[in-house]
Amino acid sequence: MTTSAVRSYRSSAGTLGFALFLAIAVVPIAASLLYALLYTLGLTGLLSNGFTLTTWSRVVTSRETWAAFGISAYVSAVVCALSTFGGLGVALFLRSAGVPPAIAARPRAATVLGRIVRARGRKGHSVEIVPPGEDARRLQAGRLHSRAIAFLYLPLALPMTVGAFAGYQILSPIGLFARIAARIHLIGGAQEFPAFTNDVLHLGVIAVHVLLALPFFALLFLQLCESERVDAYAALSRSLGATDRQTLLRVTLPILLHRTRVNVLLLFVIVLGSYEIPLLLGRQYPMMVSVLTVTKYQRFDLLQKPEAFAIAILYTIVSGAAIVIALRQRQEETA
Amino acid sequence: MKRLASAIIAVVCALPFALVIMLSLAHGWRFPAILPHPFTAELWRSIVTGRVDLGAVFARSAALSATVALLSTAASFITAKFIAYHRRRPLLLTLAYAPYVMSPVILGVCILYLYIRAGIDGTFAGVVLAQTIFAFSFGIVFFTAFWNREKLELEQLVYTMGGTTRQLYSRVLLPLSRDALILCFFQTFLISWFQYGITLLIGEGKVQTLPLKVFDYIGEANPGYAALSSCLLVIPPVVMLWINKRLLPRIL
Repeated sequence: MTTSAVRSYRSSAGTLGFALFLAIAVVPIAASLLYALLYTLGLTGLLSNGFTLTTWSRVVTSRETWAAFGISAYVSAVVCALSTFGGLGVALFLRSAGVPPAIAARPRAATVLGRIVRARGRKGHSVEIVPPGEDARRLQAGRLHSRAIAFLYLPLALPMTVGAFAGYQILSPIGLFARIAARIHLIGGAQEFPAFTNDVLHLGVIAVHVLLALPFFALLFLQLCESERVDAYAALSRSLGATDRQTLLRVTLPILLHRTRVNVLLLFVIVLGSYEIPLLLGRQYPMMVSVLTVTKYQRFDLLQKPEAFAIAILYTIVSGAAIVIALRQRQEETA
Repeated sequence: MKRLASAIIAVVCALPFALVIMLSLAHGWRFPAILPHPFTAELWRSIVTGRVDLGAVFARSAALSATVALLSTAASFITAKFIAYHRRRPLLLTLAYAPYVMSPVILGVCILYLYIRAGIDGTFAGVVLAQTIFAFSFGIVFFTAFWNREKLELEQLVYTMGGTTRQLYSRVLLPLSRDALILCFFQTFLISWFQYGITLLIGEGKVQTLPLKVFDYIGEANPGYAALSSCLLVIPPVVMLWINKRLLPRIL
């Protein structure tokens, strides 16, 4: 770091920044986690009777705890896999569907597709000879798929609360899908509709999370295709004799997946601790980690409170480790 | 085939929005009817007539989120600069990332004690402060990329030319960061607007916001009003998305 940089952060603004960082982010969280730890060790709180590991032994040997972490990890892993590969599929489909990269990268350009094509020609960057009728056909296709891209932005504006509610209204035994199934005589009544909500496999929880995350990944991949010059590398690979399949598997996918691994890890942590969706669409047993923590905290039985803190600390350790790994990977990428 | 696939993408993405709008306009939705019958604007009218307090809750949610966004954008803009140029940047950034990624409701369980001791649990100010932790954290992650070498060199240039700190901010850094500040404000507004768990815990149910209302109505088995609350909840994000579509791709 340069001398001026040192001066910069040591300036009054730097001191203020440091003070704000401590006051808003570090101290409240550190203090509350310390309090939670002391509570679990019997060193503070209403039930404090001196140092004890009773709470921890109860939590660590509890089937409920590991079931919660297990189901949360399973849901997170499935959501990450489906969102990543689904997003990748959507992105590659939209690119293969004739959407120029500029359109794919910036959906707002969808309405100016024609102008982009002509501007390129005038500037001499890329002169295309478009056969009669082809321009209109491509324009039509471009508009259609660009609209699909514009729709991908919609789930980014969907709160988890609304996602959970809509998911319930779509997937429950009296939801939209059950009604459609009944209308086309696939089922005789609501009771015959397979359980997609409050089910053992948490399919409803997974579906809503995927609906929220997949469009984000699709947009991310579309932008990475542009920024990582995937087309150029793919063209190079093909010019060296690789088939389309080899180009996809050995060039395109490795580039895109490598660049998104940090986002995938962060998504894993976010889903691991999600609350609203499993609260509405999950089960009483096993509960996901957040739901179990809050449920234990709010129970009348005060002995459950330190257990809630212990689970919160376990979650903090797991997610903290994931964040450290994610940031290290990001630093390696930027190094 | 490609048209069909594009149409499926559009329908899947728009379905939750269409469904909550439809349910907010439904009088009844008896199984196995696919569409409700009859459609009516009765629930929407109830906001205007004051039969439900959703208008007041909307205003409270908007005020709360705007306050959180304002505080966290301003604070994170300053703090991100400190972190971006610090020699221990990786460590500080890891600390900043934690609340951004971790579950607000789990951290909320631990933080609640501090708020009870401070006597701000169950208050508007308490909820603002609690939500600011998470929005502030996002702001730091967001602005750390903004404070790059180019900004540092501009800063050096201003000082070399005899400029003051005030001139540096008013004539160079703030105009340069205008788009980023607006975008961060929108994003932190949405972080607060979407927040359910921490509002429930710290607000203790006394600070009613729209996400709480959605769950309250679901608990009362009242899908019509839950849908109406959901509609109110998605209006600002959709409007912001529309306004923001020029800026949004930059954060991806």
